[in-house]
Amino acid sequence: MRFLALASRHRVVIILGLTLIISALVVPGYFSASTLGLGLDRAATIGLIAIGLTVLLISGQIDLSGGAVFALAGIVSVILQREIGILPAAIVGILVGAVAGAINGGLVVGLKVNSLVLTLATMLIFRSLAHWITNSQPVTGTDIMLSLALAKIYLDVFTIRSALFIILIVLLHVWLTRTIPGRNVFAVGSNPAAAKESGIASDRIVFLGFVFAGTLAGLAGVLQSLVTNTGSPVFGSELTVAVIAAVVVGGTRLEGGRGSALGTLGGVLTIGSLTIAMEFQSVPAYVQQVVSGLILILLVVLDRAVTTKGRAPGTRPALISDNPITQGGKA
Amino acid sequence: MTDAAMEISGVTRNDRFTRGSKLVDALSKAGLAFAILAVMAYGSLVSPAFFTSGNLLNVLTSMSIVGIVVVGMTFVLVVGGLADLSVPATIACGAILSLGLQPMIGPLPAFVLAVGLAGLIGLINGVLVGYVGINPIIATLGIGTIGLGIVQAAVGGVIVYGSNPASAEFAKGRLFGIPVVVLIFLAIALIGHFVLSRSFWGRWTLATGGNYSAAEASAVPVQAVKAGAFVITALASGISGGLLGLTLQSARPLIGAGYEFSAITAVVVGGVSIIGGFGSVPRAIAGLIFVQLLTNVMVLDGVRTPIQGFVLGILIVGAVGMDAALRKRGVA
Repeated sequence: MRFLALASRHRVVIILGLTLIISALVVPGYFSASTLGLGLDRAATIGLIAIGLTVLLISGQIDLSGGAVFALAGIVSVILQREIGILPAAIVGILVGAVAGAINGGLVVGLKVNSLVLTLATMLIFRSLAHWITNSQPVTGTDIMLSLALAKIYLDVFTIRSALFIILIVLLHVWLTRTIPGRNVFAVGSNPAAAKESGIASDRIVFLGFVFAGTLAGLAGVLQSLVTNTGSPVFGSELTVAVIAAVVVGGTRLEGGRGSALGTLGGVLTIGSLTIAMEFQSVPAYVQQVVSGLILILLVVLDRAVTTKGRAPGTRPALISDNPITQGGKA
Repeated sequence: MTDAAMEISGVTRNDRFTRGSKLVDALSKAGLAFAILAVMAYGSLVSPAFFTSGNLLNVLTSMSIVGIVVVGMTFVLVVGGLADLSVPATIACGAILSLGLQPMIGPLPAFVLAVGLAGLIGLINGVLVGYVGINPIIATLGIGTIGLGIVQAAVGGVIVYGSNPASAEFAKGRLFGIPVVVLIFLAIALIGHFVLSRSFWGRWTLATGGNYSAAEASAVPVQAVKAGAFVITALASGISGGLLGLTLQSARPLIGAGYEFSAITAVVVGGVSIIGGFGSVPRAIAGLIFVQLLTNVMVLDGVRTPIQGFVLGILIVGAVGMDAALRKRGVA
């Protein structure tokens, strides 16, 4: 058990190390700058959404609608290019993400319902909207050259997207560990009642957490659409499990109150390298899904095994009873 | 021991019912009946095709396929298991295997094996949720992804076709003028209703969902009851998928996509609490009838599919929000 706890604490390092070794074995020249840059660029999409989800999970909530917001924001930013130009369209796309997040947050805080169930419903709504406005057809943008410019690699490794991801994750790290609002997020997640008693506006933090997560999912979607010069209503449908897996690999707990930005960075890099390695071996997409599903389930079980230690056997599992939102409906 | 547990859980349940929620109960039941009538009235106004026996029979048949899943999903919600998102995987498992295994072992064994393997997926969900204590949505999302991937890998990601015309005839056939699928749905719904409202398992399910700690203290095997709900849903989805495959005579890996939402919508619109501890199969089926008629009217009205998904989403949000609000007043 002690070994398990230790392994669980340092799992990002262990898992990332193992993944890198395996990737280096199956992909020749894996550690060349161009391969790493490509991997980082691929991971940046998952990474941007994962940044938002990290904050939400720490505050004890979850957002399952990220993939749908990702698609919707991308579509809006592509469709509006003809009307208002590329940059304004991109900004509107990101705003769509923020609004989607505000809808999620407003409903979770206002109705006091479980965020899992609520974002499941809004996921369906946002995804349907994406199909609605595009007639279920992919849409293309006006400027093909722009996608080439965005895909350009600077300093041998970074694309604009991956650089943005790295910068944001460092900022998130500083914000979570060095500032008072960052610490309040942990307080709300670990014990919402106590946080409220201490004068922290829990509801506002939860609401802003959803807006933050929505904005980042929107940003990721807009960047994806600009890079591929397309917006498609089916974009991002396989992202949900991968993003949650990435964040959980990074040691952020689904129960709330625990997590870190650097852990998420490690988790995102792990999922990114795995994807690259599997794509290089031309492993079919559905097998890749099996792998990300397995990683997610194994780690969540590991978390459970470690945290249940010390609790009397057969006591109520914490996740449902301690979830502030589930409780909120009942109390 | 068992008797005492039943009695105590029975008291717990009665307590919840008698204390204030009777009015809410009556209101929500009447509300749903009114909504169903309103949709029917609107349907007959906008489309002459609505009240034809052909259309209503179509609604009934498609309702039956979802309905089998709804019966299982009711158990998941009542036991406090939030939702089962692995339904697309278990439906695909039922459909693909019951068609794909036909040439090897014959139609009936293929069907039974397909439902059994779907049940195995449910068992894994159940162990993770009930015994390990993982959040149901995360567990079923992960296991669903894995299960669907494995099923796709098993058939190489292609569409499977049926090879036994006799089984297709049976699935599409009628008995006393009623489609066989509808009869199977009615049988499963009756069994589900009996188990949930009249049997010890149903009382345990309601008690576990209503107050986990109290149920546990009353010697209800809460972990098994919780796990059981996911096994029931998976078996139901497996049957539903098998019937779907036999009727269509072809099965894509994504054949079950969207069924989880249809089932969840029906159950919560029917007034089954997402928090658990309250609900019944007839309520869920009333919700199902409303949603299916609404979808049918939208189709006849020429409303496009995405908008239907949009409406389903809004319905879930509305029903869950109303449940939270009513709970707060009724069972304070």
